[in-house]
Amino acid sequence: MMSLVQKLAAGPLSLATLFLMVGCSSRAENSADAEQRGAILFAMHCSPCHEAVNPQLKVQPPSLKGLFASKSLPSGAPATDDHVKETIIEGRGIMPAFDQRLTKDDVNAIVKYLHTLN
Amino acid sequence: MNIDRLATLALVCTLILTGCQHKDKRYVLRGQVLEKNPASSEITVKHEAIPGFMAAMTMPYEVKDAEALHEVQPGDLIEADVVTTNNQQEYWLENVRITDSRGRVVARPGIVHHLDIGERVPEFPLTNQDGKTFHLADFRGKAVLVSFIYTRCPMPNFCPRLSSQFAKVREDLSKIPEDYAKIQLLSISFDPKYDTSAVLRKYGLAYLDNDPAGFSHWEFAFTDPGDLRRLADAFGLEYFDQGDSISHTMVIVLIAPDGTIARYWGTRWTTQELEDALRQQAQAVVSTSFGAKGTAAK
Repeated sequence: MMSLVQKLAAGPLSLATLFLMVGCSSRAENSADAEQRGAILFAMHCSPCHEAVNPQLKVQPPSLKGLFASKSLPSGAPATDDHVKETIIEGRGIMPAFDQRLTKDDVNAIVKYLHTLN
Repeated sequence: MNIDRLATLALVCTLILTGCQHKDKRYVLRGQVLEKNPASSEITVKHEAIPGFMAAMTMPYEVKDAEALHEVQPGDLIEADVVTTNNQQEYWLENVRITDSRGRVVARPGIVHHLDIGERVPEFPLTNQDGKTFHLADFRGKAVLVSFIYTRCPMPNFCPRLSSQFAKVREDLSKIPEDYAKIQLLSISFDPKYDTSAVLRKYGLAYLDNDPAGFSHWEFAFTDPGDLRRLADAFGLEYFDQGDSISHTMVIVLIAPDGTIARYWGTRWTTQELEDALRQQAQAVVSTSFGAKGTAAK
């Protein structure tokens, strides 16, 4: 079974497109663009843990489907944009902090995409 | 037409005919395996530029040779032939060779150590998760298992896997008090700029079920960049700081109670192997303390 990252990266062209799109963040990014960019960022940074089963990890990272449909996050905190952003930036448990790897716009784009996951 | 002209004509015809065939093309790939997916027979490789085929990037490749696929593990540095056919529409890897950082094929995959078994480990000051400075020599009399990690590592098969496995080793051995007293785990960060004592403490607690008592047998530490490089060289660890991430190989080192190298693991190990090796070293300490002559067994 291919991971989402692998599917997106299935060929040289699609991978090049992926990096091009990730690198093309702009201040005038509209909502649809942000959501699309969020999908790519999610595939690169989140799905390797959150969409794969890895029995070698101490804790299996939870699926993020329907994250905002429930009242609380897996951590028990309220399922708000701010709490999700804080988790991404600062990390939680065995999840690493992404503050050095993602910009504020990147995090916003990922959260926008997470809202579409049902 | 003389013979030279005939030979030249024959050669030109051969070259033209050869060029017209849809033959497979081969390119040399050098990189590091990040993931393995046996179900799809693929490995994801972070590779250097492949002249004539592809720029440097990270992407999955099919490995058709089942034995080669079984052998290679996440973390391995590899060299392989990229075979393309049908105008590069299809591509896969053949002749996968596991190498060291200089591209030399290695017999023991993933392990490129400089210090031999039995050699004494170098001493550098380390700072732990509580801000306390210590040395490896402080653990003399204990069997010490050392790994290298960085807390921001997002690759599930690298640092999160290493630390998860260390957590299991500690949990399992904590149930055998006579051995637990003689073992020590140590995770050293190769990201001292980011991994301060406070960051390491938070990271460690996540793997200790939030019980700081566990730090007594599993410390998390950093050292200054120069000493880190020397320590890594001694243990055969390769790492490259890429700003927002660190590319690295994996090495687990078992240090005997007398401060000498007892064993290395590269990319493949089981928690059972780690536990057995640690217990063997720990039990050697016990027998020594009961009057056996000589140093602890290696």
